[in-house]
Order: sequence, then C-alpha cells, then structure tokens
Amino acid sequence: MSDVNVLILAGYGLNCDNETAHAFALAGARAQVVHMNALINGEARLEDFQIMVFIGGFSWADDHGAGVVQAVRLKTNIGERILDFVDRGNLILGICNGFQALVNFGLLPGFDQDYTRRSIALTYNDCGNFRDQWVYLKTNPASACVFTRGIKAAEFPVRHGEGKFYADEATLERLLADNQVALQYARPDGNPADGCFPYNPNGSLHDIAGICDPTGRIFGLMPHPEAYHHWTNHPDWTRVHQAARRQGRSPADSPTVGIRMLQNAVNHVRCA
Amino acid sequence: MPARLEIALKDHLLDAEGEGIRHKASDYFGIQLSRVRSVHILTIDADLNPQQFKKIQTEIFTNPVTQVSSFEPLAIPFDWTIWVGYRPGVRDNAGATAVEAIEDLLGVTFAADAAIYTSRRYCVQGSNLAKDELNRIAGQLLANDIIQQWQIIPQSKWNPENGIGIIIPKVQLDHIPTVDTVPIDSDKTLARISVERNLALNPSDIPTIRSYFRDKNVQADRARVGLSDPTDVELEYISQARSDHCNHNTFQGLFHYRDLTTGQSERVDNLFKTCIEAPTRALKEQKPWVISVLWDNAGAGRFDDEHYYVITGETHNSPSNMEAYGGAITGIVGVYRDPLGTGKGSRLVMGGYGYCVGPRDYRGDLKPHLHPRRLLDGVIEGVRDGGNKSGIPTTFGQVIFDAGYLGKCLVFVTAVGIMPARINGEPAEHKRTSPGECVIMCGGRVGKDGIHGVTAASETFSENTPAGHVQIGDPYTQKKMHDFLLEARDKGLIQFITDNGGGGLSSSIGESARYANGCEIELEKVPLKYEGLDQWEIWVSESQERMTVSIRPEDLDEFMRLSEKHAVESTVIGRYTDSGKLHISYDGKTCAHIDLDLLKHGFPQWEFEADWIAPQQRGLVEPVIDGPQECGMLLLDMLARPNICSTEWIVRQYDHEVQGSSVIKPLVGAERDINSDATVTRPVLAASKGLAFTQALLPAYSAIDAYHMTACSIDEAVRRLVAVGADLDHIGGVDNFCWPSIQYHAVENPDGKFKAAQLVRACWALRDMCKAYAIPLLSGKDSMYVDGHLPGRYGEMHKVSAPETLQFSAISVVEDIRNCVSMDSKMPDDLIYVLGITRDELGGSEYYAHFDEIGLNVPRVQAENFWPVYQALSQAISRGLVASAHGIYRGGLGVHLAMVAMGGHLGMQVDLDRVPATGVNRDATLLFSESAGRFIVTIDPSHHQEFEHLFEPTTCARVGTVTAAPQFEIKGLDRTTIVSVAVSALKAAWKKPFGDLI
Repeated sequence: MSDVNVLILAGYGLNCDNETAHAFALAGARAQVVHMNALINGEARLEDFQIMVFIGGFSWADDHGAGVVQAVRLKTNIGERILDFVDRGNLILGICNGFQALVNFGLLPGFDQDYTRRSIALTYNDCGNFRDQWVYLKTNPASACVFTRGIKAAEFPVRHGEGKFYADEATLERLLADNQVALQYARPDGNPADGCFPYNPNGSLHDIAGICDPTGRIFGLMPHPEAYHHWTNHPDWTRVHQAARRQGRSPADSPTVGIRMLQNAVNHVRCA
Repeated sequence: MPARLEIALKDHLLDAEGEGIRHKASDYFGIQLSRVRSVHILTIDADLNPQQFKKIQTEIFTNPVTQVSSFEPLAIPFDWTIWVGYRPGVRDNAGATAVEAIEDLLGVTFAADAAIYTSRRYCVQGSNLAKDELNRIAGQLLANDIIQQWQIIPQSKWNPENGIGIIIPKVQLDHIPTVDTVPIDSDKTLARISVERNLALNPSDIPTIRSYFRDKNVQADRARVGLSDPTDVELEYISQARSDHCNHNTFQGLFHYRDLTTGQSERVDNLFKTCIEAPTRALKEQKPWVISVLWDNAGAGRFDDEHYYVITGETHNSPSNMEAYGGAITGIVGVYRDPLGTGKGSRLVMGGYGYCVGPRDYRGDLKPHLHPRRLLDGVIEGVRDGGNKSGIPTTFGQVIFDAGYLGKCLVFVTAVGIMPARINGEPAEHKRTSPGECVIMCGGRVGKDGIHGVTAASETFSENTPAGHVQIGDPYTQKKMHDFLLEARDKGLIQFITDNGGGGLSSSIGESARYANGCEIELEKVPLKYEGLDQWEIWVSESQERMTVSIRPEDLDEFMRLSEKHAVESTVIGRYTDSGKLHISYDGKTCAHIDLDLLKHGFPQWEFEADWIAPQQRGLVEPVIDGPQECGMLLLDMLARPNICSTEWIVRQYDHEVQGSSVIKPLVGAERDINSDATVTRPVLAASKGLAFTQALLPAYSAIDAYHMTACSIDEAVRRLVAVGADLDHIGGVDNFCWPSIQYHAVENPDGKFKAAQLVRACWALRDMCKAYAIPLLSGKDSMYVDGHLPGRYGEMHKVSAPETLQFSAISVVEDIRNCVSMDSKMPDDLIYVLGITRDELGGSEYYAHFDEIGLNVPRVQAENFWPVYQALSQAISRGLVASAHGIYRGGLGVHLAMVAMGGHLGMQVDLDRVPATGVNRDATLLFSESAGRFIVTIDPSHHQEFEHLFEPTTCARVGTVTAAPQFEIKGLDRTTIVSVAVSALKAAWKKPFGDLI
C-alpha cells in the first residue's frame, strides 16, 4: 500500500472521479473517492490525506457560475478544515470544475497567504460554447509549481464552456511577475498561443491555462491531465504508433505527461 | 416578500451569449443588431430577511471579478428589452440548484411553496428596429412558446424602478384530487371517453377492456375493495400499457403482405417474434458472450470475465419536434436511465446520437413549428447539456438532412453501460421483486409534466397535440441518483431496479410487480412538485429522473442513509405482494384494483394490409447521365453536400473523452477533424480491452426499397466496426425503427399499405442480415407515426411523412486496444488498396441526389461474399499489417478516398482501372457508386505480400500510392488524370457548409 493518500472529492454532479483515481494510482498513490458529504459529516477525515483533488464535472450543474456553489458549500461547512489542510503543507489540485471551485473559494491565487479572497474568474469561453479539443501547453520553468516540475510542454484535452481566465490588470501582473502562471496555452511549436483560437480555446488572458499559489503547492488548471493517463488517449496515437513501428520501435510504455504531473505531486509528498 | 435579482457581466467584458444572439439574428433573419447584453434574473419567492438577501447576492450569485448585480433593475443601455421566462410548471433546473445553494449557505429550509424562478432579460441595441423584428428574435431564437413566455419592451415604455416587475410562474392548481369512475355501458361510451380524456385507446381494445370490468368474478372482487366501474386510474394504466409505444402493437401485429407484381401473398404474424426475437434467441445459443437479451431495459454482452456491457437505443422525436432543447435533453438523460435500470444497475460509459432533420437552409413554403436550423441547434444543445452534465462521453453520432423530416424530426439517442458480472456473488444481470419488499421511488418529484407523453408519441403530430408532454431533463439530479444507486448496488441492497420513463409509475411498477405477482401502492406518499394532482396524474406522470427500486425491509435503513449522503430523495411508496393484483390506494381508499395478467391476455392483435409494389412497377428507372468532364469540381461539390460535409461543430460541443476512456475519438487524422468509422472506448481503465461503437443511417435507399436500406445499414455498421479493429464474432446490434404511419386510410394515409410493406421488408432484411453476419439484437425500439401536418403558403395543410428510417447501432469488443486502427493515411509511399467489388449501384446515391435523381440500382448486400473479406481485413489489422482502414459509405469511392487523404493530410495517386469492379464502364460510377462491402486500406509497402495473401485477388486490389505532396490525383479508366486537386482544397470544400459554426 502506498504511503501517499489522495482524496478525490466527488458528488453533486462532479464526474471525473474514476479516471482521476485511476491516474493517481498509476502515479503511485493510494487514491480514495470521497463524497463531499462524507467529508462534511466526518465519515472521512482530511487528516488522513496529503493530496486533495477538486475534480472535473458539473457541480450543481454549473447553473450559477461554474464551481461557485461547490466553493460556497465547502467554505460554509468545512472551510476551516481545508485551510488547516493547506497550513499543514499538503497539496491541492483543481482540474477544470475543480479549478473553478478553487478560485471561487479563494484558494487560488492565495496572495499574501489569504486563501479566501476571490480575485480570479473562469468565465464563459469567448467562442460562446462548450468545447472539447486537445491543446498544446507550455509550462513556466521559473514557477514554484510542484506539479509542473521537470515538464516543459504537455498536451491535454480541454472540455469546458467556462474556462476563460480573467482577472484585473494588477492581479494578472502579479501572477506573471511571481511566476504563479504555471501553464499557458501554446502553439504546436511551443510558441505562445497569443490569444489565437483554437490554440487558446477560450480567450484566456495571457493564454493562462493554469496557476499555482505562491508556495506552488496549490495548482489549478482547465485542461485535464488525468484524461491522458495512457498513450492511447492521445489523439495522434495511431499515427505516432505507425511511425514508431516503421522504425522498429514499440510504443513507449513510459508514463504519459499526465501521469508525470501527478507523480510530481506524489514524489513531493514522499520527499517532504 | 419576493425579490428579483438581476445579474450581468461587467460592461467591459465580452458577453458571449449576447454576441451569439447578435450573430444569429444577422445570419438567420438578416436583422442587424449593434449590441446584445444578457441579464440573468433570479426571482426569489421566499421569506428571507435583508441580510440574507445580501448574503446570497454577494456570496453565491455575483462573481466579484466579472459580474455586477442588483435587486433593482440594472441600468444597462438598450433600445429594446426582451424578457424570457418559463411558463408555470416547466422544469427550471437553475432555479432548483439556486434553492439548494441558498439552503446550504443560510442553513434554512425553503417552505413547500417557496421557490426560485430563473429568467433572462436581453438588452438589445440597434438602429431602427421594428417590434416585429424583436418578436421574431424572441419567438424564433430566444424562446419557444410551448415552454416559455416573453415580453418585449421598448426603451420608451421601460420603468427603471420596476423593470420587468416580479413575475412568479408558480403552479397553483387549487384542485382537490379526485378519482373519477368511468361508465362502460357501451363500446361507444368508452370510445367517446377515450377521446375526451386523451387515452388513445385502440378501438379494437375497447371490447376487451369492457368485458374484463363486466366479468361477474371481477365485479365481485372489486366490490370487496369498494370499486364498481373502472376508475380513471385504472383506465389510464391500461391505456399506457397498451399504447404502441410501450406494447409495440405494430411490431407484434398481423400483416397481410401482398406482392402486387407477382401476385403472391403472405401472412406475416408478428414481426418482432419472427424477425427479431427468433434470430436473436438462436444466436444466444451459439454465442456464450450474449448475456441477457429481449427482456430488460437494455441488452447485455460479456466484456470480460468480470464485466458485462449493456446497450440500448431510444428515440425522442415528438417532444424534440415541439421543443428541441427540452425534447433532446430529456431524450438523452432518459436513455441513460435504461442501463442504470438494467440488471441490478449499470454504470454509464458512453452515449451516441443520430439526428434527422429538414434542410438547415430550408426556404420553402411549408411552416414547421420550428425551422430545421433552429430545431437542430436546440437538439444539439439538449444532447450537449444532457450528456456533458451527466459525465458520460458522447462519442459517436450522425446527422441526416432530408425534407421528409420537416414533418417530424428524428432524435436517436444510444446509451452504453457496464456492470460487474457478479454482485455479492450473485449474477448482476438477474433481478426480481419479491413479496414483502419495499417499492421505492428515487430521484425527482412528480408534477403534471409529461402526462400522456406515451400516448402522444403514438399519434401523428398535429396542431392539437397537447404540449404538456414537453419536459426539460435534469442531468444534475440524475447524476446524483446514478452515483447513489451504484453505491447501493455494490453494497448488495438492490433487488430490482427499473426506470420511470414512458408511462411513469404506471409502467415501472406495473412491470416490476409481475415478478412478485402483486403490489400495494399508497399514492399519497409519492412526493409531488406541487399539490393538486389527481391520482391518475400521479400514477402516469412522466416527470423525469426517477427510478423505481425494490429493497428488502431489512436493508431499508442503510439504503436511506446512502440516499441522504448523496442528497437524493427516496420514498417508500408501497410494497410488493403476491396477490396477483395491482392495488392502488390514496389516503386509505382504493382507486385501482386490477389483475396484473389482464394485459397479457385477450387483447386483439393489430392488423395491417401491406402491399408491395416493386421499384420498376413504381416507375423508377436509372437516369441517363453521361460522364462528367469536370470530375474534380464534381468531387468538391459532393464533399460540400450537407449529408457528407464536416459537422465538426457538433462533435466539439460534446465531451467525448470524460471518464478517461477514449481510444479512437470521433474525429481523427493529422488535423484531428475527419470522422472516424467508429469510436473505441475503454470502459474498464485497468483492462487493455475496448468497446467499439458505431451507427449507420441510410434512409435515402428507402425511396427504392426498405429491404436494401436495412441491409445496407447493417452492412455499413459492420464495416465501420471492422475498420477500427473490432472483434467480428462479438458484434451486437441495436435496431431503432422510425416509420411513417402504416395503417391504411383511403384519405388520411392512402399509401399506408405500401409503407406497411416497406416495414415488413425492412424487418425481413434485419432478420436475414443478422443471421448472415451472426449479430444478435441486444436491444431495439420502434417509433411509428413519423408524420407531420404542416401549413403551406395558402394556409393549406400538407401531410409530410419521413422516409422509412432505421438507425442501426453496432457494438463489439476490441481484444487489445493497441491494435486499433484509424482511417487516416499515415505515411508517404504507403500502398492503397480497395477491398470489395464496385458495381453499377448508384440507385439512391448521394451522386444521384446531387442531380435530384433517385435511380433504380440500389446497392445490394451479398453477405456470403463480403464476409470473407471482413474476416481477412480483421486478421490483417490484428496482425498489425494495416496502417489505415476506412469503409466506403455514402458518396462512394471518390468521396471516401478524399476522406483518407484529408485524414492523413497526404496526397494520393489512384488508378480507377485497378479498382475491383463488375459491370462498370464509367468513371463516375466507379467514383460514386455506393456498393456495399468495400474498404479503402493503406499499408506499409513492406507488408504487401503478407497482406495480399489474406484476400481473394478478385476482391482486393492495389489501386495507388500515398504521396508526400498533398495533391489528390485520380486517373480514369482511360488512364488520363480526371481529378487533380490539392488536399487542402478538398478539405476547404468539405468544411465550407458548416465550418464557421462553433
């Protein structure tokens, strides 16, 4: 049994619990899917975990702003316990709806150790619709982000209708200056997407796809690393596979970049 | 005091919703608007104090970064304001989640009559706009009068203090529930009451119903519980259960089939038994992987030793036709309850869709309730929200445009689930109710919505069809219930589970009680959305997101605890018995007491005259069209035809990779934009097996012969699976028939006998093909009455009947997902092969349709000749010899070579004279014939001997080469180049019709 315990928060219309748990298991952790109410009523205890994941889905159907009601429910019922969890040096990952919940809770951006202030919005895509596509991403090597360490570029799917990263100028400047911008939409060649659709799929300011808090231990992103847990998840795999075979290579069974991102978190806990 | 909160994006932020409306107003109606801003409104009809109002405003409903809000009207500039809100009783999903959020934040509980109503206000700016134009935008873009109301207010009449006022669309029935007794003194009386109460009883059923209630023993029995003549609850129960939708009277009917050409006649007794049940039962004997068919909500096949997959398909045509969004979301969310209610419960793993609508750019004189463009928009969005918010990948789908669907559109929805083979050591596919167990209703509450949906689906659409059966599905409530019920299943708590779909409790309890052989239901315990429903309404309401579950009394506490944890409402509404009776009471007074086996006996079989007139006798001939000179231009125009061109905008709106199970996506290729033959998903992430899924729809061939339409659809579905690497011996099918009315009437339906013959022939083809390809039918449904009556230019009414349509869905296991193949060409210098023989079969083709012709030579399936080719290709793929494989479908070889080239973004050089063909001497026929049984395959040149060795030389030929230069070149039979087009030009043409849509 692994020494690293991951809490996958589920319920109320969230839906990426299975694959997120699977991906963390591949990354060497012990992942447990826990219903939000089991955490609230004490059936499950945050003290037993080192990584907490806010997963993708449609909590409360996203009816009043994506992730808003989830953030309110958690803040109202177990806000203090979550802040204690952060204080203890643990890790939090928010993916898609989870990222939206983190910014609405205030866990991100976490300026000045204030983890309750809302200063970022993930709002309606500029394209006006929900969109499922794979994106090219580049990381920020100067960022403190635990999750992106040693990863230069990645490809993951985005699947959202409200993923446009928005904040006022001052907030954006600070995020950029302090290297809290850990992940940005890019072109296939690694250059910035520069707001160009569909490379930047939602109109996010500064192509921002994911940010971390100043400590690098809380990370939120719109793309889905857990959806790239196996090489056959990649949209080009049949092409890459053919090319490899012609060169006498078999497909690499090494971990995908999605799994490596989670391994970073697991290893961080292990080494802490 | 009620309050109204207005919320809008800050002024400097892009309002994507408003912009979308501005664009559509211009694109659809040519109305130029300069700016549209949307305001979200919550009308809060609850007792909250000012501090509480402030708290919910700031903490829940206003994003401080992006939004502004006010309990006064927001001062957003406009020339006109359009307000759109729901009519009373229409499901308001966002209103319901707002209540949940407020209750949680404030720690309060809303009173039973308190609620939140959401609506929208659109602030429209533009110069010289006329009220008519605003009306058009409101009525044809923003709202549907069946479910919504709207107001249009010019700036000059706007009251900045009151705004739109406080509008509370609360349902107030002020009605005391009553049970009526219905006199049955004569057949005529009952027939009259059937019409008055919209029971849709079949006239031939009426004597059977009367004789039951007049039976001396039955009367004595009824007297003991205080009943005499039938109650309305009882007649509604019978009506629902006997409806064509639930009982499939058409497919179980007696057909008098006559071939008017040969004079031969045949008595066809029960199409379901002879063409669906019998072949499937026989195949189940041969194929141990077939686990459960022909009785449950979905059929089950073995995925691996530990898991079974389940599949079913549905249509939701009539509701979608009236309210596209509501109908479609209700359809997809509804079909997802079928796997959930299969065996002891299955987890949903994927969904599929098929839409058949009128031409998107229809400009003719007929006036359908919703223009096809708007209808399609609504249907796409309904399935988008229903699928995405359920967390189920929508992986595969198709759209067909045809003027025949102007009368009624078709919305097919398919669902696949997975269950463990055993639960607590017991077979998961088994379930039964037993006397003494609790009858539990889980999920949503019951309202007037959906009443008589089943009987309406069994009627032709007219202006008088009641709109009450239009609903709006609520994937959020259902997702919570799904998660809850699967946890309950895994704890071994569920003895029986089924969904409340058509017919509501009447159907789910009526059917589940047969296992125990009786039930006692206390209707007053059923949770209602609002008071005032009559007992019969509670009994037959089709309010969504409900399951009926049977739980042992000793498990009840644990079940209820789990239910509470998942925030799902569950209520014990009765118990199963062994009395042989369906016994319903309300506040202790019996309102129904019927023998459960009544429905199984004594009802007469429906009968149909079916006259077949062969195509030649109907005057169909091959058109005389001589070889085109401009094959390149023709090919580009073919690629831009609506039924061939790219529909990427639909696929991208659907989350097709949630659950992390995606292997072959709906769009593939170098630029990830070409339609895959089938999709492959991994329902069990730890396994290296996959499930391949696909669908085929070829209604155009019905214009010649529905037999061949059906045969070609099945053949196409099989080839689609073979192309991605699915196991040929493990294919299961789902048949979804959508047919125009087949009951002959000299005036109303003069060609009813012919349409009946088409149905018989389609079923024969289904039987023949399933036998030939050894495909058990894991599930299937039929939706008859696909006709509509549309007003024309002069106020005259036209009956529009849909082409006879079958959607055939096919599923199979992929042994090892790493062997899957996609359809895009992979490497320069790879060899291109065509498998299968091209014949002069342009009848019903897209090519003929391009010239408004039908023709005669419809493609024919020669299953015994095709099968060895499929086996060989299957073997080649599993041996890793194939770089790409793609079937040749609608549009023929030319179109599909182009697809392969576009997929790889590589060129190709092809010689038509090398293409295996019989009786073809024209380039156009080779390029566009739609002969079945064919593939395009590309392979690594080093594999060519091993590959060719697998095939008979007559069915496999090397026709060309993949080239690095992205130029698409085809040489004709005379060896001259007849097509030379850049691959980018092919793609531009293919994307032109809908490429700008997002």
